Amino acid sequence: MKQSAVDAVIRGLKRAGVTLVCYLPDSLFKELYPALDADPDIRTIQVTNEGEGAAICGGIFLSGQRAALVMENSGLRASVEPLARMGLGAGIPVVMLMSYRGDMGENNWWAVPHATTMEPVLKALRIPYAVEREEERIEQAIVDAYELAYASYYHTAVALSGSIVR
Amino acid sequence: MKRFDCMTKLAARLSDELVILSLGASVDEWYNAAPHMREASLFQQQLGCVTPEAFGLAAGLPDRQIVSLDTDGGLLFNLGILATLGNEQPKNLFVVVWDNEQYQSIGGPKTHTASGRVDLAGIARASGIDQAFTATTVEEFDAHCEAGLKAEVPYVVVAKVSGTVQPEIKRKHSDGREDKYIFVRHVEKTEGITIMGPSEHN
Repeated sequence: MKQSAVDAVIRGLKRAGVTLVCYLPDSLFKELYPALDADPDIRTIQVTNEGEGAAICGGIFLSGQRAALVMENSGLRASVEPLARMGLGAGIPVVMLMSYRGDMGENNWWAVPHATTMEPVLKALRIPYAVEREEERIEQAIVDAYELAYASYYHTAVALSGSIVR
Repeated sequence: MKRFDCMTKLAARLSDELVILSLGASVDEWYNAAPHMREASLFQQQLGCVTPEAFGLAAGLPDRQIVSLDTDGGLLFNLGILATLGNEQPKNLFVVVWDNEQYQSIGGPKTHTASGRVDLAGIARASGIDQAFTATTVEEFDAHCEAGLKAEVPYVVVAKVSGTVQPEIKRKHSDGREDKYIFVRHVEKTEGITIMGPSEHN
């Protein structure tokens, strides 16, 4: 990621009121994680799998602070059980920011299934999402994801792809 | 050792704490053992989510004592949270694990702790949670509650309890959605904050 894209993500998170970020590091967002760690206004919590991160984000929602779950889109698969339990069962929302592996331009065979499953899994869980490929869209897409999550009390997701992450 | 007797001891020590608890019969038992904590308790049906959610709550409310009432089946579902707690060292999280060595809510098939080889407190200690213990008597459990609620580090007590359910207890009637609203409104009232506020007029 370019520094300008990293900055746009952090601007969006701050405009949305995010104070805590749970993440499992990945390669396409490689430059984002240390920038989040270094930001004095955001506490980061590294987790062992994205499902654990989703559940921690649910607890942060209950505290009144705003959280983000940042991960590769493969993490969506690891998060399905807690997302279904919290979102469909109790109306506890989690906002996700994902790198979109497997999109056009993917050059790793193992990453192709991440794209095969991402949108069907989001649709199966009825999670509204946006796929952004232009840097100038990042900040507002993140803000919009929080607006909807806090109106619906349900999960939303933003996947970043294209020149943003390559 | 009966879980309900342990719950009665823990409940007597709680007033303004927040509790997140696991699924199955322990939900109805806590509903009866701690009637003064009903609004302050989030009753969830979420295997593997309880202690992570409690940690998220503890991270978001660092000045409030948070109690996680997890289970052997629930913790085994997501052991990674112990490593996260070991690294993050929350000062305000007390974790109780009701270890009855079975999946009680579906009729009692054994969990991995039934073999006697799997030691959840040992796993917690090896994950960086120095204060992690196993209690086999109500007196031991109560002493860990006293210490755990005061601790400035994450504190885990694994309570080895029988598979019995307290007879003739009142069932909780609400679902997860109603429970969430009750809990959120309690947090809002006691913290003086807004979590689920009004919609915009536009």
